[in-house]
Amino acid sequence: MSLVPPDLIFVILAAVTIIGSILALQAKELIYGAVALAISFIGVAGFFVFLDAPYLAMLQIAIYVGAIVVLILFTVMLVRRGSLDEMTDRAEGGEGTVGLWLAGLLAIGIAGVAALAGPNLPTDTQPASLPVSSLGPVLVTQYPVPLIILALLLSSALLGALILAKVDK
Amino acid sequence: MVALVNYIIVSAALLGIGVYGLTVKRNAIRILFAIEIIVNAANLNFAAFTRYMNPAQVTGQVIVFYSIAAAAMEAAVGLALILVAFRLNSTIDVRKLDKLKG
Repeated sequence: MSLVPPDLIFVILAAVTIIGSILALQAKELIYGAVALAISFIGVAGFFVFLDAPYLAMLQIAIYVGAIVVLILFTVMLVRRGSLDEMTDRAEGGEGTVGLWLAGLLAIGIAGVAALAGPNLPTDTQPASLPVSSLGPVLVTQYPVPLIILALLLSSALLGALILAKVDK
Repeated sequence: MVALVNYIIVSAALLGIGVYGLTVKRNAIRILFAIEIIVNAANLNFAAFTRYMNPAQVTGQVIVFYSIAAAAMEAAVGLALILVAFRLNSTIDVRKLDKLKG
């Protein structure tokens, strides 16, 4: 089993992402959890830059950090303070142990299989010099139907969310 | 030199954290966090595999594009549902939202 020693940047990005996501779930206050979630998303955006996908990194920051986390923050802050985040998040009884075992087995299983297959997986390829603009033609010419379905789904989801959250006077 | 294995391991760790949050947390908003973390693990895998397995194509990036959009609408609808559940039950503890049990 020969794990290639990763670069320092990769290690830092991995630490930011993983610690951020742990903090997002374990932070006492929901607001701090949302901020930690944003940091974790920024770490994943860093991975996208590393993977020669700058457009995805931009999308990740604009949508995840800029829209989803801000939406969560607004929801948490608009709802009466103390009712959402003071709730105990402690697991009762054996729930925590079972969850930990399940998650640990899943993660270690996948990582173990990947590490075993490590020598057969590609370590590095020639630097992909695909420009960002190569994504657009593929999106419109090869996958036009999913794009249209996605647009319809997005508008219907937003309308549905508006109708759901509307307060009846 | 960063290999594909390293990305898979990071992604597996994110998946594990997300599954832990899904099973253990009781606050519905935390569960939404956990779902987003799992979606991020999947996105990372797509981007890594398309970069290492087929660098001449952007198919994986297109999939991540759709996935991010789907996650955005899922968060919007999920938060609206949580707001409605909070308004009706004045709690978002998922262990207490068991009215459908009858």
